[in-house]
Amino acid sequence: MTEEDLKDVELPDGMNAETLSHLMEPRNYGKLDKPSCIGVALDEKTKEYVIFYGLLDGEMIKDAKFATNGCQDTVVIGSMFTDMIINNNLDYAHGAIAKMNEKLGSMSAQQQVCADIVFSSFIASLQNLENLQNGEEEELHVLKMKDSCEGENLG
Amino acid sequence: MDKLYQKKHQLWVSINFASFAINDEEIKSKLYDFAQIAFRHMKWIGSDVLERGDNYNYDRDLTLNKRKSVFEVINDLVNTTKETMTLYSNTILSQRLRTDDEYLLEYLSQILKDESNNKEITAFNTRREWLDKNLAQDQIDALTHFLFEELYKEYELILIYAYMQARTTELIQFNVFQDLIDESHFHLKSFGNMMAKMGILALPRELHEMTYIIKDLKQFVTDGIAEEEAAKEMCKELSAAIKDEELSKFFDFINYQESYHIELMQKLLK
Repeated sequence: MTEEDLKDVELPDGMNAETLSHLMEPRNYGKLDKPSCIGVALDEKTKEYVIFYGLLDGEMIKDAKFATNGCQDTVVIGSMFTDMIINNNLDYAHGAIAKMNEKLGSMSAQQQVCADIVFSSFIASLQNLENLQNGEEEELHVLKMKDSCEGENLG
Repeated sequence: MDKLYQKKHQLWVSINFASFAINDEEIKSKLYDFAQIAFRHMKWIGSDVLERGDNYNYDRDLTLNKRKSVFEVINDLVNTTKETMTLYSNTILSQRLRTDDEYLLEYLSQILKDESNNKEITAFNTRREWLDKNLAQDQIDALTHFLFEELYKEYELILIYAYMQARTTELIQFNVFQDLIDESHFHLKSFGNMMAKMGILALPRELHEMTYIIKDLKQFVTDGIAEEEAAKEMCKELSAAIKDEELSKFFDFINYQESYHIELMQKLLK
């Protein structure tokens, strides 16, 4: 994917075929065995989290995975975001966040919160990388969220 | 981490989802029984692992195989069962697992002998239709969203409760966890079959250890009760949104079950 491709980013606006595909088979879901960095975004109120694993070679994102106990919007956005940034550099990833945020402006508040927790986990992973590069011993870096997802689940 | 536990976990999920995917009611029902047996195997293997002072996790190596015929689904299941059986040892527990799985393989071979069983699989066609109901698109969308959320949630709850049940020494807690596991099995089955009917059957995503290793039971239960209260509202909303009496009554029925889950969970706080 190139910078130009970011213009055509499609986001989950209802139940279209692409959203359904990400729901049925989320991309890059799980853990990386030997990540360069790990970030967690945590909503302390709902206990919802996203954990992000990144494998970097310099500025290049060679691989990425994520996991969450959150709602399906979080899964779809995590799936789309990781798909976009793998094999691209960090500048591209920051651009992808800005572009997705711009498009999410027209979506529900809940979807914005879901997107934010995904992006925050990525930012946390970069903070973890920086800390590790500065010689700190940190297994993962945690960022706490300000807003909560309104989605609820049955038990 | 215990490899046999992981394989049995995968087999349990595979049998469950084969049951959901297949339309023939007799095969569906029989496979579901085998899935329940596989879940008990998981429980026994887990106890054995903990007694040895070892541990297990819920890591999985499963992909969604969107098969198009019953025989393809059954053949996958034969292979998964045989792979699992290679890890059995000579203990009494392993002997039990082996004889159960040999009978499962026998049943699967019987299905494969009868060509009339080889019907089309429609569980993955993504048509999102409920053939005997006349649901508007917004109702179909609401139902789709609900089913994806809840299929995962029920799978998650079964595994979290099972993880805690395996580690408690309190009889009341053990029994409450068992009730909650049984309830979630029923919900998982109901929602899985509904997803298959709509052509959107998918595996629930894998659980990360941050989800199932609970460090503070009281906080987990308190949060869970708040979630159940809110979920009851969601069920009521879906029941009102679905303009079909039969489906609305089903979601009301699920909603009333949630009320009792709250009672059960409160016992964990005493």
